[in-house]
Amino acid sequence: MTEDILFQKLVEIFSSKYVSRERNILNNYSKDLSFYPEKAPKYVAWPTDTKKIEEVLKLANELKFSVIPISSSSGPRHHGDTIPHKDNTIVLDLSNMNKILNIDRKNRVVMIEPGVTFGKLIPELQNKGLRLLLPLHPRDSKSVLTSALEREPITIPRYHWDSSDPLLCTEVFFGTGDLFRTGTAAGPGTIKEQQATGQAQVNPMGPTQFSPFRVIQGAQGSLGVVTWATLKLELIPTIQKVVHIQSDTIPELLNLQHELIKYRLCNELLILNNLNLACLVKKNAQEITELKNKIKRWNLLYIIAGRGKLAEDKISYLEGDIRDIIGDLGLKGLISENIINDNDILQVLSQATPDPWRLKLKGGYQDIFFLTSFEKITEFISIVEKEVPQDLGIYIQPINQGTSYHCEFDLYYDPSNDAEKTNIKEKFLKISTNLMDSGAFFNRPYGILTKEVYKRHDDSTQTALKKVKKIFDPNNVLNPGVLCFDE
Amino acid sequence: MVLENEIFKDFEDIVGKNNINDGKVITTAYAYNWCMEFFNYMEDKEPSPFSSIPKAVILPASTEEVAEIIKLCNKYGIKFKAQSTGLGPWNQPSTDNCIIVDLRRMNKLVKIDEKNLYAVIEPYVSGAQLQVEAMKYGLNCHMPGAGPHVSPLASATSMAGPGFTSPSTGHSARNVLGVEWVLPTGDIMRLGAIGLKKKPDWYNGDGPGPSLRGIMRGWVGAKSGIGVFTKVAVKLFPYPCSTDFTITGKSPNYGFKIPKYLRLYVMDCKTYEFLEEVMLKVDEEEISFMCSHLSGSGLAAIFSNSLQGLIGKAKLAQLKVPIVILITARTDREFDYKQKVMDNLIQELNIKDIIGKSYSPEPVFYAEALRSNLGLHGFITTGSFQSSKGGSDTAAVCLLSTKMNIPLKMEYIKSGAIGNDSGKGVWMTSYESGHYYHMESPTMFDQTDDHSVKGMAEYMEASNQLDLLKHLGAPFFVEGTQMHELFGPHMSNYHIWLRKIKQAFDPNNIADSGFYISPHSKE
Repeated sequence: MTEDILFQKLVEIFSSKYVSRERNILNNYSKDLSFYPEKAPKYVAWPTDTKKIEEVLKLANELKFSVIPISSSSGPRHHGDTIPHKDNTIVLDLSNMNKILNIDRKNRVVMIEPGVTFGKLIPELQNKGLRLLLPLHPRDSKSVLTSALEREPITIPRYHWDSSDPLLCTEVFFGTGDLFRTGTAAGPGTIKEQQATGQAQVNPMGPTQFSPFRVIQGAQGSLGVVTWATLKLELIPTIQKVVHIQSDTIPELLNLQHELIKYRLCNELLILNNLNLACLVKKNAQEITELKNKIKRWNLLYIIAGRGKLAEDKISYLEGDIRDIIGDLGLKGLISENIINDNDILQVLSQATPDPWRLKLKGGYQDIFFLTSFEKITEFISIVEKEVPQDLGIYIQPINQGTSYHCEFDLYYDPSNDAEKTNIKEKFLKISTNLMDSGAFFNRPYGILTKEVYKRHDDSTQTALKKVKKIFDPNNVLNPGVLCFDE
Repeated sequence: MVLENEIFKDFEDIVGKNNINDGKVITTAYAYNWCMEFFNYMEDKEPSPFSSIPKAVILPASTEEVAEIIKLCNKYGIKFKAQSTGLGPWNQPSTDNCIIVDLRRMNKLVKIDEKNLYAVIEPYVSGAQLQVEAMKYGLNCHMPGAGPHVSPLASATSMAGPGFTSPSTGHSARNVLGVEWVLPTGDIMRLGAIGLKKKPDWYNGDGPGPSLRGIMRGWVGAKSGIGVFTKVAVKLFPYPCSTDFTITGKSPNYGFKIPKYLRLYVMDCKTYEFLEEVMLKVDEEEISFMCSHLSGSGLAAIFSNSLQGLIGKAKLAQLKVPIVILITARTDREFDYKQKVMDNLIQELNIKDIIGKSYSPEPVFYAEALRSNLGLHGFITTGSFQSSKGGSDTAAVCLLSTKMNIPLKMEYIKSGAIGNDSGKGVWMTSYESGHYYHMESPTMFDQTDDHSVKGMAEYMEASNQLDLLKHLGAPFFVEGTQMHELFGPHMSNYHIWLRKIKQAFDPNNIADSGFYISPHSKE
């Protein structure tokens, strides 16, 4: 089949308005902020409904071309997972599928399409007294659904009941083009019939004896194209009290946060080094540097909250109990003066931003992130700090009820400076592999690190994942080459 | 059918001669299990309490031995059925070409990780054992409604997972971290960070990339149909109150010194609509250790330790739509706050708490609540029970399902087949402070009476049909080829995908699929 015929078939599915082969448009999808080699797709298509997704996947299976689903077309992408590996690739840009399908206050759940962004959804939910479980200060043009599919860490570990949260049910087209609904959304009955009985697709487990949502999550679009998902929500507190504790050393902050999560005493809970905290709350490099120099090296942020008539009572009990814990730990000397305005911290922890915070300092960054246990955090910090003595942002996030920790190291650099860029690329690879060799678990492997990650993991996991790929995408049409899957 | 001598010897070489037996007495004893009689009847067999008799029973002591056993099963074309604490028909072979792999020698509590709030356990560690050890660190584990005597590993990897403490400790499937899994081929796979070649650890079970926990199990587990789980890391939660636990007396009339910071509330909501409102409001406050709805008769049962005791609680059984809430705390401040929240809700909702007024439970109730022992009270009236239903989503659908089931259940009550709970017998709990709910309908029957057994089986089938046709969610026991083929076409054709998983992960069809799915539709 000639390229023209393929293009014609895509036009038949999407209409000429929603397919493009213009070089300048394709180039937008050819690169990102990672070090993954550039490559442009052959075409890009913008589906507006699920039928078109089914048709294009069936066509891809028939004509053997590749499909990369992406959800947000604006704003920088980061990790190389949407850059084509193969020549014959079309990008399925789902950003036009951007409807908030249902906001359910009673059951604390929202149903959204993939193109819904943080910037659009957060205010809609706020109007109904609800809030999303957010990753740390996301870009406002970022897809909410993709963030959940990628298992990005959320900032409230006590609401992180499972590593999959806040993702609940999904509607997905597998690589075969077959439609599936995961969790209780599978049925019996259509979504309308389920809703008529009062269901709201809030249980992600199943159907019955498997939970396909767990393999779609973390698959970087290589097993299915999700067309909607439900996400769990929480109620907005009436009162929130920000606590910012600083220290020159991290172990005492780690000990305190452990007690806070163990007894589920606070909502947001995270540790940042001075540079990352400054990047979050300040606007430009000068302000960031000033604040960085003013605050101590390590910063524990947590928020205690109350809701309704007894909000003050709750705050009072939490403050009292936390005060006792701090006393028991012998940490009364820790500084908690308000150098940063509480509202600025609340803003960062509850809102999206048009101005990605990791780009503010130098215009570029490479993030190294992985999971680990409480005891290993300080060892990993030492490994990275030895290699990157300056312009290093650090973010430690307890997740999954405090059973593990997301460790993130942001290596800031000026992307217009070639020497700096080369240096960072070398360091990025060297540090990442050092960390892997020291037991860091890169559970979300992207781009140029992927092969290194799987090389260090039990071979049986790769074998099993390849079986899963063969089941749901037997012709390898969806995002080939990512993870441990063949190109 | 016993094993041929040469094959027996091969298995014996793995575990030693004291840990394998194919004698009639042992294999027949292993063929018996609770509820087997009506499961048999539902499959058009005689209502016998025995399953197929296994060819042999083998007791491995390690993961490596399990792997070797399964490789031998593949070599000789013999199926295996694994069991941990072994409660219920799901532990039974579906064919006589099967051995039972009894994991009771794998009984180690591998570690309690106080800093990372999890425990690593082997299959034969019971919930009670795990809890006692966790309490030493001020921690607690989630236990399934089946009770503290069952294996938390089995619940987390292979069975269902609701528990009385689910508002505060979630669901077994969602508490899983690292997993060690012997696949039906005999290969050992370790999920998540425990799969690292260097410095493996148990703190996470997802990835790298997609999480194979989604293949391992769903709302319910695969009941050994996708392999054997030999170790699992499960989350631990803060112990809800003081860890003082002083029991006195003799069974069944134990005394218990009620620890500080526990308070029980029982209120009659009168209607299901009002119950929904109350339950949602309580859950939104994030204060309850337990938050359950039981029928009046169910309520009377959880406060009773004998039939006589139950009869004496007729007044409780008359409550129309009760809710049971247990609040717990670690400090005076927390306890005061939570009680104040409850006082406010009681006032706002204009509802009456009967505890300490018209009724006070025996102290041992609190011990059983802390130890998740309440489900066992279902055996008091007729000696046996099983739950129909088991769907899960919102409180609304759980209550609709409850209401719609009443006339159906009444038919079988009137026929004398099942115990009389006015059709309302139900247990419903919230999860994770009310983010989802599940309900099941415990149903009492007499397993020694054919009429009762058959009636129970027929009621279960009718109840399944009701859930399917009225879109009330998939019940617990949609398992086995027949049920999957009944429900699958109404549920995204999931049975086709589940079958592909079975084919891919068990190419020789060696893991007994009687409670999972067969690799081919006509098996």
